[in-house]
Amino acid sequence: MSEKIIELKDVVVKKGKDVLLDGINLSVLRNEFVGIIGPNGAGKTTLLKVIAGFERFMGTINLFGRKEGWRRSRKTRLRIGYVPQQMQIDKAFPILALETVMTGVIGRLGLFRSPGREEKKKAINLMEMMHVDHLADRPLGQLSGGERQKVILARAIMQQPDILLMDEPTANLDIVVQKEFLNLINDIQRHKALTLCFVTHDFTMLPDTMQRAVLLNKGKIAFDGDIDTALSKETLSGLFGYPIETFKRDGRRFISYG
Amino acid sequence: MVDYLIDVFLYLPIQRALIACLLCGISCSVLSVFVILMKMPLIGVSMSHAAFAGAVLGMLFDINPFLSGFIVCLITAGVLGPISDRTDMAPENILGIMFSLLMGIAFLGMGILTRTKANALNLMWGSMLSLSGTDIDVLTIVTAVLLLFVCLFFKEIRSILFSRQLAGASGVPERLIYYALLFLTGAVVSSNLATVGGLLIFALLVQPGATALQLTYNLKYFFIVSAVSGVGACVSGLVVSYIFDLPSGASVVIMSTSIFAVAYVFSPKRRTIKLKQGGNIS
Repeated sequence: MSEKIIELKDVVVKKGKDVLLDGINLSVLRNEFVGIIGPNGAGKTTLLKVIAGFERFMGTINLFGRKEGWRRSRKTRLRIGYVPQQMQIDKAFPILALETVMTGVIGRLGLFRSPGREEKKKAINLMEMMHVDHLADRPLGQLSGGERQKVILARAIMQQPDILLMDEPTANLDIVVQKEFLNLINDIQRHKALTLCFVTHDFTMLPDTMQRAVLLNKGKIAFDGDIDTALSKETLSGLFGYPIETFKRDGRRFISYG
Repeated sequence: MVDYLIDVFLYLPIQRALIACLLCGISCSVLSVFVILMKMPLIGVSMSHAAFAGAVLGMLFDINPFLSGFIVCLITAGVLGPISDRTDMAPENILGIMFSLLMGIAFLGMGILTRTKANALNLMWGSMLSLSGTDIDVLTIVTAVLLLFVCLFFKEIRSILFSRQLAGASGVPERLIYYALLFLTGAVVSSNLATVGGLLIFALLVQPGATALQLTYNLKYFFIVSAVSGVGACVSGLVVSYIFDLPSGASVVIMSTSIFAVAYVFSPKRRTIKLKQGGNIS
């Protein structure tokens, strides 16, 4: 049996009177690809932030078999990559795309060691994999939303993490770019030994390699299981309280409302 | 004319003022890179008012005003860091509250100051031409420490300027660097109370960085352009103040704004962005 790489027991997050996460129990195995899916305000991003160490919580979290507080140690942080929602970067901000990817390795190098040729070569290879190598010398702020998000994904992989957390990385991207981005995530899942957690509210655009879905609603896990059952008419209609039907054609999933 | 200029430069206060221009320009401009790129101009305002408030309190309690200014700056930095890390409060609001509180303390101190208020008012706009040897020594040490900090942690600084959250998530000691930066801001601001003063220094904590933002995409050049523009503003401001017998701090600020205006008008970045995407840069 695979090792439990993420383990949450009775995790609760409160902000004043609001309960953002309410008794979450979740285990993720090494190299598993889990989708954290739910409507807006379900607690998806909060769950990801708890795992990343950005959010205070009550309960227990074990990562890589070790109990963790709300903040992560440097050693643990090195093993967790994070891709946020599309970042707003000033068009004049002084950082190039290649430099952005290189920032992913700074934490791993530690203080007083600068990235050398080897790191630069690795960064360029990753940019090639993401099809953005031709943009290496362009200012990050001047790239399109999709290009920028691919650079940020390359940056996260550059960190050489064991877990990659992605918080609605395809939000606000057009459909073609979303598909390209999901294909890249499929490639990463196939070629890199990574545990992936992918947060989204859009279950029509999911990477094909996603094996398991955790459906969140009002801070609680409403469903945890294989992706096909998660996206069945019964489960989704129950989750959203609205009739939603799903069907597949040519391996792609379509959703019909009402 | 040449003899006159040589005579001017042999005059000790002028020599000190020129050295102070160089140090003040470099230290404030390097900090302004952080202020501009981290979009936290209110940090500059809060720190400058902290130094000013501390100095006024120092005068009130017969403590060296620059030492008390420095201590209040350090306390402010120590409070600002952890509070601005709280996710439930917007940093701008916290800084706004701190800034107004510090200004209140400063004016309260001035209100109950029984002695002449001229010295306290000097702390507002400084005086390049009446600096002591100690002022220059302190400024030299602070500037050297700041430059060393930037050189040693340049790659971490780049990562944090890009995104504090992503830097922290990928194992960069972002909180350590950020807090060190706040303390250095306190040190720079308080050591410059004598040069440009606690109120006018704010201009030098914003404008050199804003000038560099118009001119380069390279972070190393960004620091250099910022420093050159800051030193340029200080030296030209001093010369203008000497020739026309104007307050030196105010002249420095006006020159700094003029340099920014020229950079903005002739900004190659702004034109490229406009041509390519029709966007604006702030």
